[in-house]
Formats: sequence, structure tokens, C-alpha cells
Amino acid sequence: MATRYGIQLAVHLISSHFGDLVAKVCECLLRKGTLTLRDIIRFTELSAQQVKNCLLVLIQHNCVQAFSTVEDGGLSESRIITQYMVIFNNIIHRMRFSKFIMIVSQEFDKECEELLEGLLQHGRLTLAQLLDRANTDKPEGKIPVVHLGGDRSRIHVRVLKSGFHRASCGLLCLSGNSFLMIGLSLTIKFVQFVECCPAQDALRESFNRLVNAHYVERCPASEPLLELKTDEAPSRRGAKSAKIARVVETTEQRALKAAAPMEAKRFLVVTNTGSDIHGKNTVDMPSNEITGEKQMKDEYMQLDGALGGAVCEKEVVWRANFEEFVLRLKQKVCVASIRAQYDDGAGVVLSAMLEATRGTERKIRGETSGPLSLNAIFEEVMKTEEGRTMTLEHVRSSLNQIGCKLDTAGPDQSYSIDLKNIIDTAQRDEVELIVLKRYGKEAFRMFRLLSRTRCLAETNKISDTALVDKKEAAKILYKLWQDDNVHMVRPTATSTSDKDLCLWTVNKDTLWKHVLDQMYHGALNLSLRTLYELEQEREILQLPREKRIGELGKRYERLRRVRILMESSLMKLDDSIMLFNDF
Amino acid sequence: MNCFCSSEHLGFSCYMMLVVPMNRSQGAGKRKRTDASPGTQSSLGPNEHAILDIVKGKGDMGIWIKDMRDKVNLPPTVFNKSIDSLKKNKMVKEVKNIKNKGRVHLVAAEFEPSKELTGGDWYADGNLDTEFITILKEVCFKQIDVMRVATIDQVANEIRKSNYFNIECSTQKIKEILNTLVLDNKVMTVTSNGIGEFAAIPAGTLCYKSRPKGSKQREAALTLIPCGVCPHTTICTPDGIISPKTCVYYTK
Ligand code: SF4
Repeated sequence: MATRYGIQLAVHLISSHFGDLVAKVCECLLRKGTLTLRDIIRFTELSAQQVKNCLLVLIQHNCVQAFSTVEDGGLSESRIITQYMVIFNNIIHRMRFSKFIMIVSQEFDKECEELLEGLLQHGRLTLAQLLDRANTDKPEGKIPVVHLGGDRSRIHVRVLKSGFHRASCGLLCLSGNSFLMIGLSLTIKFVQFVECCPAQDALRESFNRLVNAHYVERCPASEPLLELKTDEAPSRRGAKSAKIARVVETTEQRALKAAAPMEAKRFLVVTNTGSDIHGKNTVDMPSNEITGEKQMKDEYMQLDGALGGAVCEKEVVWRANFEEFVLRLKQKVCVASIRAQYDDGAGVVLSAMLEATRGTERKIRGETSGPLSLNAIFEEVMKTEEGRTMTLEHVRSSLNQIGCKLDTAGPDQSYSIDLKNIIDTAQRDEVELIVLKRYGKEAFRMFRLLSRTRCLAETNKISDTALVDKKEAAKILYKLWQDDNVHMVRPTATSTSDKDLCLWTVNKDTLWKHVLDQMYHGALNLSLRTLYELEQEREILQLPREKRIGELGKRYERLRRVRILMESSLMKLDDSIMLFNDF
Repeated sequence: MNCFCSSEHLGFSCYMMLVVPMNRSQGAGKRKRTDASPGTQSSLGPNEHAILDIVKGKGDMGIWIKDMRDKVNLPPTVFNKSIDSLKKNKMVKEVKNIKNKGRVHLVAAEFEPSKELTGGDWYADGNLDTEFITILKEVCFKQIDVMRVATIDQVANEIRKSNYFNIECSTQKIKEILNTLVLDNKVMTVTSNGIGEFAAIPAGTLCYKSRPKGSKQREAALTLIPCGVCPHTTICTPDGIISPKTCVYYTK
């Protein structure tokens, strides 16, 4: 949600990542909405070339999407107009790249992490570019393949797969043409130098894993053409209900939809392993895709068969799939929230449920999880270290505790959980904690009463239920109202004795938006202050290590601590921003 | 629950055991009409009679002294003397109006003053009895903590059995206290499913459960940074006089 401070934060992020010119174009789009190139030039007063370059940067980094519409030309012919829309959420995601990398580093290996880093750094890349980037700092020429003796076949495979540079970090060091063993007593049978680059195969494999996990996706179409909207007359039967049910889609939403690749194509990798070892094309598709998409895959295979994997590698552009990362983070928040609300057991059970339904969840935008049979959940719980001590009864009671819905209709009892509920509770808790810190315990009590009942309540009723002195209650409520935390209603047609009658309620939509805006403001200030602190001590930061002694050393240490503190606070604040904006 | 009856177990000091009931008995005495023994009406003069009739006519809301003075239209000295005499004979009592503490109402002795006037059970002398509420809340919380999960009746019974307070702690009062504990986020409400820890409680009954151990009240991320609690947020801008660069709160 692009609120007032949200826009300021987005502009600040773009300005610090790409400079002031790009930020100017971005701000123009954020404030004025979707525009044509000519309008952007007019509003920003920059040259056409400058605006074009800025737009290219923004498109490359997935912050702007172009689309064309057909303009009715009246008597003359219709014209096609290109428009540019800014994607606010993708700009704010730039603040949380470290979190995305952390997710991948926890699930996969270093190669995957580096590939993702490349995509985040460059916005959009083809696989060939990604491989080039990964290999730029690797030894050139022949790659040694180490054949180890003994029964260390696992290490043998790993060395073969990952190439020399990987092996050198943990197991072996190269010195000339001889290998030095580190820590492990392995016998090297022979070292074979081959022309190919096995590291590339390993990278392709890592890339496939990222795509299979949906962390990387094909880029959307660069400029989809939006159909002219025809106002179809609603069918006569049930016309009224059809009208109500129809959700009005904005042009921007239609453009994003039109640009998105088909679901079957979105995570389809046609890799070229031919140039390296096997000389054949393979199509990789997530194993959990539905069968209907298999047909698509076959069609695509034919298409790509003609083009060849090599072409695909060079022409298909990939990017990080923020949606999937947001979903992962949402699940983590849900588990943490359940853990805090109930106990570790409940957290383990929810985490197991989410893990077991991982493939299916994407399709329903993570609103609910399941249904899953008790045995399937128990099996998943058993896989975790914490869950190994749990009994079936414990799992069942935890499922009841966290409010899982039991479906007894099928042959198996199955459970499903509403993640939206968990998120709603987490959001409410967050706002309540803010009220507690700012206005004290009594305000917290009254606010909780209002936020839970969600109906208008009179001052006396609130003070009686929350056991707060009547006069004090009125004062606190007034203060909360002044700061837009509660909504006040004065009944109009009341008798003279009721002239002081006030009714109070919490308006969730406005308050949540207000809180989110405050969070954006906090993040902006925190970010600006961090930059200021670093700017102030620039010469200290540039000092070589050996000169950081005495007073200078102390200043460096202070700066380091300040930076860590501020950056970790910003990440925590960003967790809350995501809770309100993305989940 | 033997352990509950032990005050040491609940961690209460002797101070509380002695002081609270005394305070509360004073407060409670004011609201008991049986405590008053009104004198006979025959000993009253005509002025007192007139005043008493008006007071009685106003029921449990009584009448504000100033309104009464205007109504009877007596010289101030005579009026004050009559009121004193009625009070002495325990035929009327003075009750502070909760909505306006400067206003004292006269209520006939045989009437329990209206809640609208006194503020309700939790008020004594026109003020919220915070000391009593705090202690009762603590007793209820410790009780739930000891029992892990309990119904309202269970908590109320245990408190009554323990004789901590020399005034009646009705189930309704305990329910109100438990609700404030829920609002304080110290306990949570759960519905019994009749199994596990709820084995002794019929399924479907509303229960109160203490929050899991170790679930310390965390802080919101926003209030962990100076901007979250700053009084100048609305006027703080990147290039203004008050800005993150000039901010004094970040230096603390
Ligand atoms: S004055 Fe300081 S603490 Fe207050 S809003 Fe500005 S930066 Fe934040």
C-alpha cells in the first residue's frame, strides 16, 4: 500500500540504490500514477534520453512494468500507447533482499545463494549471463576432477559436481599440480584435467533447484497489449448477483496479469547441458506441478526443442520471485506467532503442516493450509528434531489448540488451518503493543476491549468493563482519538442529559493503514539516520585495519555497533511492515 | 487444590491478608442498608419531615443538596441543621456523585444508592477502589496459574473458600476481574474440549488459562526505535528543522 511515507521510503531506496535521476522518475510515477513517456518527460522536466535510461533501469530491476493500450482515435485510426506503471511493493522489497538470501542459504547451498544474489543485484538475467557472472572469478581453462580412493564416494561425487573451486574451500587446496589434503586423510587416486567446466553443470543444477522451489521465475512480458475493455451486458439470469460479485479490476492489475507468464511456463527450465558433457537438452519442471500442465510442458518441449536449450539459456530472462519469498516469510511469522501464543509443540505442528502442503499452498496465495490427514501431519512432525518426542495425542491436541478445522467428511479425518486468522491476530497484537507502549496499561486494556468487540461502546461501559476510573477513561479515550487510534461517534438525536454521550470503536481499516504509514516513516528515518552516521564517520571507515587503534579504534567500534543496532532494528521494523502490507 | 488455600503458595504477604479486608469492609459497609439503624420519625421537626419526604421520593438516585435547598427554600442555617439532624438519626446518607465528585447527593437510608450515582461495585467513596481491584486480580491470576486452566466457578469457589476477603466476592465480580485479566493479556480464554488438561471440565465450557511460561510480553518493532514513541513525528521531515539528522533521541 503506497501511503504518504511509503512513497518517501520507496523514493529514498531508489535514490540510494540508483541515484537521484532514477529516483525522480520513480517519484513521479509513484505520485502521479501510470504515465506515458511524454507525460513523464513533462512532469520531471528531464530530457527524453534521461527518462528513457531511468525507465530502463527501473524495468531491469522490476520496479516498473510497461504495457500498451489501444487508444480510440475517433475518426482517424486507433493508436497504440505505451504506459509505465510503478510496482511499489517491488521497490520496498529491495530493503529485504538480505532476508530472501537468508531463506535460500538456509534451504540450499552456497551456489544457490550466489545465483540468487546475482539476480537480486542485476534484477533480470538470462541463465547464460548468470553462469558467466558466476564463473568470472573462477580459475580459467581446464578444471581438475579429483578421483578419490577409499569409500569416500560422497566426497568424490561432490568434488566432481562442484568443480575445483568448491572443493578448495573445504577439502583440498591446489598447489601447482599437486593437491594438499586438509583435515581428512583421503587418498587421491588420480587427478584428471578435463576441458569442460563441471562447475557450470553444478550451477545449472542449483539454478534448477531454485526454479523448482519457485524462488526464481521467468520474467513477465516486457510490454503486454491490453485489450480494449468491452462493457458486456450482464446475462439476464442472476444479473444482479453477477454485478455484485464482479470485482472491478484496475488497469494496473490487468497489465500485471497480462504480463505474467503462463503458470506452466513460469517455472519451466530448458537447460542446455550439451556444450558441457552430455550434449542434450533437458526440460526441468517442478515435480509437483499438476498433470494438466504436463501437456503444456510437452508443447513447450517441442517449441524449445526447435529453439534448442542453448537459445533458451541465452534468451529467457529470469528474476527472483518475490511472491514465493513473501509466502515463506509469512509462514515463518505464522509459526512464530503460534509459538508465542501457545507453545513450542503448537509451533512444530503448524510448521509441519505448512511444510507438508508446500506445493499446494502457492495456488491459494497462502490463505489456508491443508487439508491434511492426522497421520500425514504426524509423519511430518516426526521428521523434525523438536517433534520427535511428540505423541499422536499431543499433535491432535495442538491441532485443536491452534484452531485447525477438522473435516470428518472424507474417509480420513483431515485438518486445515486458516493462516489469515493467524495473521489477523498478529496484526492486532502489534497494534495493541504500540498502544501499550505509548499510552500505558489502562489504555491498552480499553483498546483491546474495543478492538475485540468491534462495535460501538459507550465511555461508561468501557470504563466499567476495563475497570478504569470513569474520568480517567474519558481522558484516555480522548487522547487515543486525537492520535487517530480510535474512532468517536456522537449520537445526534439524544436527550439533553446525554449530551456528553460518546461512542467509541476501532476502525480497523483506517487504523491499520495509519500504523503502516508510521512504520514506513520509522523505517525511512532509521535509514536516513544510518546513512548520516556513516557519512559522519566516513574517514574512519576508510582507514586501513592497522590504523584503527586508540581513539580511532574506539570510534570505529562505536560506529560498528551503531550500524548493527540500526540495521537490525530496521529489519525488525520491516518484519512488521510485511505483516501489514504483504501478508 | 489444597495448595491454593495456603497463602505462602500464592505468594501473598501478611500485609495483604490484614489490610485488604479491613479497607474493603469499610467500603462495603456504606452500601449495606442493614448497617444503618434509622431513628424514629416522631423525633423529627416539620422541616426535617419535608426534606425526608423529598429525599425518599427521589429513590436510589437521591437529590443533590443544592437542588434540595432550592426546593425547600429554608434559611441556610435552618437547612443545614435539619440535614445534620437527619444524618445523625441515620435517616439519610450523603453519597458523592461519581460523574461530578463535587456534588453530594442525599439518599434515604433505606435505599441502596444507584450504581449510576456510586459508579458500581468497584467504587468506594466515589473513587475506583484500585487497591482492592489490583489485589483481587493478583489473587485470581495466581489461582489460574496454580490450576493452569480453570472455569469462573472454580476460581470463585477457591477464592471464597480461602476467606481472603471479608466481603462477598460474587461469581459476577470474579468474572469481571477475569475479563480484565484477559484484557491485560495475562490470561486467555479457551473452550474446553474435555481431553488432556481439560479432562475435569465438561467440553464446551469457557475456561481461563494462563499464558505459556516464557511468553514474555514482547515489544512492538515500531516502539523499539525512537521514532515509534517520539512526540515530534508529525513535524519531523528529512530536510526540516527536526529531522533524522538533527534528532536528539537517536544520540541517547
Ligand atoms: S525527531 Fe528523531 S525520533 Fe522523532 S521522528 Fe524524527 S528522527 Fe524519529
